[in-house]
Amino acid sequence: MDFVGVMKNAVSGLGLAPDAAMVTFPIGMFLPGSDITPVRARKREFYEGLTRWQSTLARNAAGAATMLSVEGASHEDALNKANNLLITNLWGDGLPLWPATRERVDWILRGAALPRTHVIGKFPPRGGVTTVETCAVALAMAGGRPEYLPVLIAAVEAFLDTESGSDQLQATSGGPFPVVIVNGPIAKEIRLNSGFGCLGPDPQRPAGASIGRALRLLQQNVGGALPGVGTMAIFGAMRYTNAVFAEDEDGLPPGWQTHARQRHGYAPGTNSVSVVFATGVTNIRRRGAKKETPEEDALNGMWRMADFMRAPNLAALAGWEKGTPGIMMLAPIVARRMAEIGWTQDSIRDFLWKNSRIPMDQMRRAGAPAWIEIDANPLTRDSIKLDPWPICMKPDNIVLVVAGGGHPTHSYWLQGHSPTVQGRVIRVPETFDGLLANAARARIEHGDLTAVLFLQGYRRAEFAA
Amino acid sequence: MVTLEFYDPSGTLEVTQQHAPRLASLEGRRIGFVSNEQWQAYRMLPMLKEMLEADFPGVEVLPVDTFPQGNALIGNEETAALVKNSGVDAVIIANAA
Repeated sequence: MDFVGVMKNAVSGLGLAPDAAMVTFPIGMFLPGSDITPVRARKREFYEGLTRWQSTLARNAAGAATMLSVEGASHEDALNKANNLLITNLWGDGLPLWPATRERVDWILRGAALPRTHVIGKFPPRGGVTTVETCAVALAMAGGRPEYLPVLIAAVEAFLDTESGSDQLQATSGGPFPVVIVNGPIAKEIRLNSGFGCLGPDPQRPAGASIGRALRLLQQNVGGALPGVGTMAIFGAMRYTNAVFAEDEDGLPPGWQTHARQRHGYAPGTNSVSVVFATGVTNIRRRGAKKETPEEDALNGMWRMADFMRAPNLAALAGWEKGTPGIMMLAPIVARRMAEIGWTQDSIRDFLWKNSRIPMDQMRRAGAPAWIEIDANPLTRDSIKLDPWPICMKPDNIVLVVAGGGHPTHSYWLQGHSPTVQGRVIRVPETFDGLLANAARARIEHGDLTAVLFLQGYRRAEFAA
Repeated sequence: MVTLEFYDPSGTLEVTQQHAPRLASLEGRRIGFVSNEQWQAYRMLPMLKEMLEADFPGVEVLPVDTFPQGNALIGNEETAALVKNSGVDAVIIANAA
């Protein structure tokens, strides 16, 4: 395995033709104690890279997306050939795809509040130009619907923010994946899950799977994060659909604020996304097993959560000051019970921050200080003086979200690799109510009678509730 | 026959700058390193420096630590300005990570 794809993506992302003067060696040469004499044997390649190398790729400019075409003896045959073409060009995720025909993409674009040619940005590291239409193509391939497009576009905007770190996170060996937390009424309107199985899959609330899969297809097809070629993600994780879910705003205890309000200052009722990068997930059995009082049950569970967090997750150094060490998901029934006995969002974060600090002798034992010493952020480097060492600068760095099924046994920790937490307001087109009505009609055709309520004239808020 | 036409999902690329022109010769030139300090760079780059100095009369190869090192530093504008202002004729960037 080599880094050729990563390098080509990197130079392409800088606006150069996607090639470079490179001398490549097997990965074993880059390990401690390796034999590096091949460098000497191939010195001429280094010299030629500085003197004779020329880019073989002609200058090109951004233009309209290219159309592909297949012919088949039947629709089934053509569909099969289209999927084969997508896979052989490394544009798929291994699962069947909807070919993004003009008709399907035009249909998806009904969900756009911006012109189809609007440039959102360049998707790192490859630097593929990302327009509203590019997002619609990915959503079409992922089996999405028009009403999902506003959430995807907001997530892409957050992902492409230069402060998000996505240019490095896309290629890094740790394999971080984006987690998109949605707040506001749009979550229910498009059937985005906040309850049982909110991290998916869920055919009853399928929006998260399509939106997350479309984002992943953009990461790979436009951003160049092809496993082992454009991204060094050793194991990968959540690579089919990322993680897209809604906070259970109805499940928030009285007085608690939404994640969007706490982290980004968005007013209640605002449709928004919040994008965090995570590297892994851990289920925490937090409920007691015997005759604990409510207070003991809550406190024991909090200790277990803090114990899971108290780990030298060195990837999280990237977000030590401004980002997050991770997302702690509390089920709504747990949040309510804890609130009833006096816990608040602030006191929960304070407890987790204080009790997830790591004694410096344990940090030294793990060789962790070396990574802190070379961090680019001076505040992070200075943190090495702290003993015990906090996993983030302040309690507010910890993302606390209320979501999940109505069951008290578990919490869920998504460990972070997130330099920042990026929020964006979701913009919907003026015709959005019509799109929801069309979606409801489609559900009725498939026997979902709850959608009848919408068509019977209930207002959207009532229907969504 | 059924024809199915659909979008290429890879988007478009925009080439906004050209690669730097190559040098006619390395003799008498000034060469720098931009190192991410990873992947045995601390052994490989000094080896390259030694080879360049042995093979090209009058070449000046700057020490590996002349410019900021590390993945977090080598890509920023400050490092690029330091490299540009140093008067080097070429740089070798290593090692990929």
